[in-house]
Amino acid sequence: MNTMIGCSQTKRLIDEADRPDALSFEASNHVAACVSCESFADERARLRSLLASGTRVSVPMNFDAVLKAKLEESKRRFAFGWLSSAGYLRLGAATAALIIMVVAAQQAGLFSGEQPQSAPETYVSVKEPPVPVAAEPAGGISDGRGPVITVASHYPAPQFSRGNRGPARVAGTGVPLELPGENYLHEDTGVMLVRGPNGEGEVSLPMVSVGAQSLVFASAGASRRAPHTIGTSF
Amino acid sequence: MAAVTHQAQAIGLEGSRSVEAANDHELLAAIRDGDEAAFGEIVRRYRNPITNFVYRMIDDYERSVELTQETFIRIYTSASRYQANYSFSTYIYRIATNLAISELRKRKRRRFVSLFSPYTNDDGEPVEIDPPDSNALQDEVLIGDERRRAVSRAITSLPEKYRAAIVLRDVEGLSYDRIAEVLKLSEGTVKSRINRARNLLREKLTAYI
Repeated sequence: MNTMIGCSQTKRLIDEADRPDALSFEASNHVAACVSCESFADERARLRSLLASGTRVSVPMNFDAVLKAKLEESKRRFAFGWLSSAGYLRLGAATAALIIMVVAAQQAGLFSGEQPQSAPETYVSVKEPPVPVAAEPAGGISDGRGPVITVASHYPAPQFSRGNRGPARVAGTGVPLELPGENYLHEDTGVMLVRGPNGEGEVSLPMVSVGAQSLVFASAGASRRAPHTIGTSF
Repeated sequence: MAAVTHQAQAIGLEGSRSVEAANDHELLAAIRDGDEAAFGEIVRRYRNPITNFVYRMIDDYERSVELTQETFIRIYTSASRYQANYSFSTYIYRIATNLAISELRKRKRRRFVSLFSPYTNDDGEPVEIDPPDSNALQDEVLIGDERRRAVSRAITSLPEKYRAAIVLRDVEGLSYDRIAEVLKLSEGTVKSRINRARNLLREKLTAYI
């Protein structure tokens, strides 16, 4: 007999058949003509029959009662599931997150009603005392040594000092030193040596740092006050 | 009818004729609405098939009953999430299969290593040595019991991925496409696994076929 399909395909069809005796027309023809496939089909049919012949178990008599009790217990657990340890954990995490948000908002001033401060400007304003400063000689020509700032010799140089117990003040005047903002770190006081036609004078300046590095760095030199190094950041 | 009503009342539910006539999807919809009679009907329809299936999977009757009850509890508590994309029987068999496989894996972790079964199969899983007994028994009852025990041992010796497929196919009689839905596999994979399982069972049950 002319078989249209091979043994492997026939065996696959035998294996995949819904019932052992419900083979397709081509597979049935092949099985009828092929001893190997016929043996395979018989073997598969017996195996499937053996597997299906096992005693089917049934539920015990108290199945429904036990199920009812378990179901009630499950309902109780389900109703109070949010109180479980995982529920507590979620509640705690949510509360902590809320507290952090409130504290952060307070720190940012969102609750104060004030306008947020602008970035501090990079200058220091000093209330100058109303004292005369010796004017440059007529013509204002220096002696070649190029002083730009002239301090009268009879006039005490303004001293900027920073007390430990109060705001910085201009030394000798009591005029408070105004700093543009608290973000400045008023670290120390430096001294600038200024030479002019009337001699030399020292000007004490507050050393203010903004950030980690000074923007302007000036050295007084090693002639008189060598240890004084002024770091200014304006 | 009387039996159905009795079983529903035994679980504390009240059966009704409309509940008995409803299909599975309608019963699930009623369970979502809190109708416990509908749940009782679902239990009545599926408790024995699911128990039998789980028993064939794990070969432990007491535990299979417990897992069947757990299956119904999950059906009840997750009824609101049930989507009628496929048949309810596929859905409940999937839950039962997952529970049975979880149980098998728990047992595998607890299992002692047998000094008498140092062999593994192609998948690296230990294989119990179960040579067929060729001694003929005189009593038909004993023969039947021995055959059933041999079949149970042969099935439980299969790797779990073959076991679920062959039990669903040759014991429970599910079609390939439904087995594929239950196991979330392609139909080709299911056919391949069933073919492998039958080949393994044929070797173990030579004396009985």
